[in-house]
Amino acid sequence: MIMELMIALTVGAAMFGTGLYGALSQTNLVMIIMGVELVLAAALVNLVAFWRYLHPEEPAAQMFVLIIMAVMAVEMTVGFGIAIARFRSRGSVEMEEASELKG
Amino acid sequence: MTVQLIFLAFFGAAAVWFGIVVFRTHSMVRSALALLFSQTAVGLMFLVMQAEFLGVLQIMMMATEMSVMAIFMVMFMMDPGGMGAMEMTHQKRLSLWSGGVGLVAAVAVIWLADWGPTVPDIPGAAEQAADLGRELLGRSMFIFQSAGLTILTAMVAATMVAIAPIEESSK
Repeated sequence: MIMELMIALTVGAAMFGTGLYGALSQTNLVMIIMGVELVLAAALVNLVAFWRYLHPEEPAAQMFVLIIMAVMAVEMTVGFGIAIARFRSRGSVEMEEASELKG
Repeated sequence: MTVQLIFLAFFGAAAVWFGIVVFRTHSMVRSALALLFSQTAVGLMFLVMQAEFLGVLQIMMMATEMSVMAIFMVMFMMDPGGMGAMEMTHQKRLSLWSGGVGLVAAVAVIWLADWGPTVPDIPGAAEQAADLGRELLGRSMFIFQSAGLTILTAMVAATMVAIAPIEESSK
């Protein structure tokens, strides 16, 4: 049993659970983005732990970390773009008030 | 118990604790700062795991990203200081169950799986950076370039969405 790997993956799981709770429970768009950021950070921790303790000879694992970081930046950029548009048209980024997209 | 294990557990606990604080505090600025500390603790975990380049990159990137997020928080929130203690959550029970079930399922898989033997020592920091550079500009170049193009597209799309329509800005 690789204890360091277990600890790192457990931290990743805890961050995933916290982020999922935040993304589902918050009513504000910016707070939802924060929850998604935590979930992606959990993925980062897992990837680095897998690289370090299972396949340190494989640099492609580190490349995937860079891709996840790019996804984090893209998610924030698009999220804030939508937040600005929403705030401009409705004066609020509360998702409780954004029910017009419901089918 | 190795020193690496102790530091990994310490920074891991800090990352999770600050992650929880993000959704516990009423102040949005504190939320953004807590997320910054959580992401910094993740970066420190990378350093403990001897991924120096990624650790420094994570800390630098998140410091910038969370500063921007704090500004947006103050701009968009009705009560950014949290003085009014507004309730800003919904479907709390469902969210708690989803987060809890996700956590328990992941922890069960982690602790029940057989991860194989411990690997030998890893390459040094300079060799890692060189290997990563060769990977990015060799075998994974297409994926790396796609990520760059995706960021560019997202920047253009976000700017287009965010700028005011002509009739609105001319008023």
